[in-house]
Amino acid sequence: MTNTVTWARVKSPWVLHFNSGACNGCDIEIVALLTPKYDVERFGVKLEPSPRHADVLLVTGCVTQQCAERLKRVYDQMPQPKFVVAIGACACSGGVFQGNYNVVGGVDKVIPVTAYIPGCPPRPEAILDGVVKLLNALNPPKPKKLSKQEKQAEALKTEQAKQAVAAPEVVVASQVVKSVIEEVKPIVKQ
Amino acid sequence: MSNNNIDIVKVIQSKLGDKVQIQLGQLGTAAINVSNGLHREVLKAMLEADEKTGLTAISGVDLGTTLGVLYHVHTSNAFVTIRAEVPKDNPKIQTIVDLIPGAAFHEYEVSDLLGVIFVGNELKGHLVLSENWPEGIYPLRKDVKATEVKLSPAPEEEKAPDIGKLVKIIIGPQHPALLEPEKFAVTVDGEIVTKVEPRIGYVHRGIEKASESRTYVQDVYLVERICGICNACHAYGFVAAVEKILKTQVPERAKYLRVVTLELNRLHSHLLTLGHAGLEIGYETLFQYFWRDREPIMDLIELTSGNRVYASLMTIGGVRRDIKDVDVPKIKTTLEDLRKKIPFYRQVYENEPSIKARMRNVGRLSREDAIKLCVVGPVARGSGYDIDVRKDDPYEAYGEIPFNKIVYKEGDTWARMNVRMDEVEESINIIQYALDHMPKGPFRIDVPRNVIAGESISRNEAPRGELFYYVKSNGTANPERVKVRTPTFANIPSFLQTAIGENIADVPPNFVSLDPCFSCTDR
Repeated sequence: MTNTVTWARVKSPWVLHFNSGACNGCDIEIVALLTPKYDVERFGVKLEPSPRHADVLLVTGCVTQQCAERLKRVYDQMPQPKFVVAIGACACSGGVFQGNYNVVGGVDKVIPVTAYIPGCPPRPEAILDGVVKLLNALNPPKPKKLSKQEKQAEALKTEQAKQAVAAPEVVVASQVVKSVIEEVKPIVKQ
Repeated sequence: MSNNNIDIVKVIQSKLGDKVQIQLGQLGTAAINVSNGLHREVLKAMLEADEKTGLTAISGVDLGTTLGVLYHVHTSNAFVTIRAEVPKDNPKIQTIVDLIPGAAFHEYEVSDLLGVIFVGNELKGHLVLSENWPEGIYPLRKDVKATEVKLSPAPEEEKAPDIGKLVKIIIGPQHPALLEPEKFAVTVDGEIVTKVEPRIGYVHRGIEKASESRTYVQDVYLVERICGICNACHAYGFVAAVEKILKTQVPERAKYLRVVTLELNRLHSHLLTLGHAGLEIGYETLFQYFWRDREPIMDLIELTSGNRVYASLMTIGGVRRDIKDVDVPKIKTTLEDLRKKIPFYRQVYENEPSIKARMRNVGRLSREDAIKLCVVGPVARGSGYDIDVRKDDPYEAYGEIPFNKIVYKEGDTWARMNVRMDEVEESINIIQYALDHMPKGPFRIDVPRNVIAGESISRNEAPRGELFYYVKSNGTANPERVKVRTPTFANIPSFLQTAIGENIADVPPNFVSLDPCFSCTDR
């Protein structure tokens, strides 16, 4: 079941675009991604108007004071699991606007960020590359195909490892528990 | 127009005589120093003499013990700056909203950022600063260290209030129709809009203040990032203002190269908007078509400047890069390919029933209102108000290049989009002409890093309308004050007026016909 969900998520990520105080440079490049030259919809990437339906939040801009609270609210509305991609130098660190009075600087100061795409603005290809890298990270790497002999050797190894590790682990665990109890006792008495 | 040969300075001199001090050739045609209160008299005299008198911008400057309030006023053939001063401890000045209704937002901005109180048009709350910005602290004053300002906790979540029979619809800050975060509270009675209240400032990054702490060279790249769409125009506006202070003469070749850069900028911006309008009326095919044809222009920008979006071509004293002779045929063929596609689009705009239904007679703005509200660019030209800085006050090589001023009389959304469509063709002509008549020689000269004390203005026609820069220098490597008046800031009042009485569904096409750019508006 998890595999199916991951498969569906990787094959059709719905993205939401939020401008947190950007100059439009990155935003126009995101829109350019949807148009015939780049056409990300062929990869199943769809721009979604509502945060409640989105998997990936694409944030541009240096996060102004006025936007910070709204950005957090938009992020909170998205269903789990959710991913945030910071697009452009401003979203990554505040960029050229770092230190200005109305600028928080960097998306990661407000919400957790999964992927950073630097550039001022990043080319559409770079944005696409960033989103693909994020999606690949969701997909667990497929196990290598092994021959019969290799499989047997592998199985033997894991078996041996289990036996070797299992016994001492228990001892360690119990020792830890004992020592903890001894430590706690005097405190409890007091 | 018939009154093209009025000498507005003489008119002011004859009406007000010794009461004002006139400095010819400063900050436009003339700078007029007035004592408190007389700025209204000067404006009245100008309005009586010339029907095309309008406000371009109000700059507020911290002068130490006083605050300078500079009214930049344009007439049909001149550009006048009225300079008033108010004391810092009692910064009150009479409003001019009753004379020029379009001045309201300009006054609000000076109130918000510099703390000047315009009696009769006081600002309640904030215009561009965030809601939790403390009262009584004005970031553009020199004694305010803006980074040390402590903000109060974030405000409560806004809710649409119950206002009886009427319903308040809040559009934004995150909304599918808006690429940028801004909020519009639209009050509707049934389907009819009765009131539009904007809340701008979501993209306010404090660029005007930040430019004071950076050098002139750094500022070129900073002001370029005010807007990612019309970036070349911003860089040019700043560079031109600084060059005026330095009295630098740019090489002839640089002037032509600048025209090519500015027109490529206009081409991609207009194609973007024409497509975006399609998206807003649910005609997505048109959107995809226009954006498909925009990509070759982006490739040309990359070819001439090295970057798709930020050309970074303008520099103080010329341009940074030359156009190679081997690239010229490629630029020309790409533009010819685009020219061949225009008749198709024109026919779509002319005959397509969905465009007619959604754009004809939507957001009608009369010529009188356009002048009163001081709108600029395609919005003004779509209403028969023929202003175009390229023609009225030619800069760089525009005086030597033949082209037409596009004016439509209808004043609706359809007319505004058609102005842009025709300007695409004019831009192609301008670039072709500039490439054919490009003079040989250097394209850049060296200029000193420290700029002598002085002040200047520059105007240029950005894709969205007149872009205005005011730069004040103090002899160091950093500017004293940089003021930017962007075209969308001037055009928003027209939307607030035209939306009233129309259907709620007509708000998006009407709005997009301004080609709104909020990163410009808020700075």
